[in-house]
Amino acid sequence: MDLAIRAIVLYAFVFFLTRVVGRRELSSLQPFDLILLIVLGDSIQQGLTQDDYSVTGALIVVGMIAALQVGTSYLSFRVPRLRPVLDGLPIVVIEDGKPIQKNLHRERISVEELTEEMRQQQIASLDEVQWAVLETSGAISFIKKSDS
Amino acid sequence: MAEPPDAIDLGRDRDLRGRRKDVWFRRSLLALVALVPVLALFNLFGQRPTTSNASVPAATLSVYAPTTLRGGLLWEGRIHITAHREIKNAILVLSTGWAEGMSINTIEPSPTGEASDNGRLEFTLGHIPQNKSFILYMQFQVNPTNVGHRSRSTTLYDGKTELAAVHQKVTIFP
Repeated sequence: MDLAIRAIVLYAFVFFLTRVVGRRELSSLQPFDLILLIVLGDSIQQGLTQDDYSVTGALIVVGMIAALQVGTSYLSFRVPRLRPVLDGLPIVVIEDGKPIQKNLHRERISVEELTEEMRQQQIASLDEVQWAVLETSGAISFIKKSDS
Repeated sequence: MAEPPDAIDLGRDRDLRGRRKDVWFRRSLLALVALVPVLALFNLFGQRPTTSNASVPAATLSVYAPTTLRGGLLWEGRIHITAHREIKNAILVLSTGWAEGMSINTIEPSPTGEASDNGRLEFTLGHIPQNKSFILYMQFQVNPTNVGHRSRSTTLYDGKTELAAVHQKVTIFP
């Protein structure tokens, strides 16, 4: 029982954390972010199972996390009103080649970061972009102008 | 103006209509998350030890141990007895709060006798000459399932005569 409760509490905390930290922090994995992610995983694991090395313990924890994950995803699918809370909403960051500063500022994205993302998607200039949308996953989708 | 991509609502997703407060809500929640380690710096979640004393003409009993703990922590309890007069047969009685849900790794120096005093732990320490000290070191580890509040008392006897007692409350976080 203790393990199941720990799994619920830590799942809720990590879910909460990923929603409040900001999507860009979670999608862009710089080397430092990757190390932080490993440290985070290790810290969570210690609080989750502590000194329980049993297979039964692992089954309880993994089963509970899987059930919570499926449950959250089902809720998001079945209850559209919960979707903004559970998944977030997209944000338009470029319109007609012009960065929308207030939206970039809100998500702590610099124009340099935006152009870096563009280059990774083989887009050389802001003028080529009709729309850029920061998706709920933290990735940025670029839609090119029809004439470019 | 070009049509926005499907499922993109310009009012909601570009002009952030109805979403302006979201960012402040998110920042407030983030501040709440940051508050936890700040509170931890102030020893709210353990395990910095504190000292509690009881002083009587015969002796001073001092308990140095954390009163806030977390599951799995290794910690030390140090009981310091200073005899102001000769104590012929010092006996320490520890309430169940000391041992409940704890792994007792070691007690040094080993008491000359161990017994149960109506469920409490009774350690016979023996003779302590006047103006001398006796320090008992106890090493523990909190069992991960041990969560909640407990009272922890430490009583010093000379034979059957109670000399001094220290009462503490212990909080154990999961």
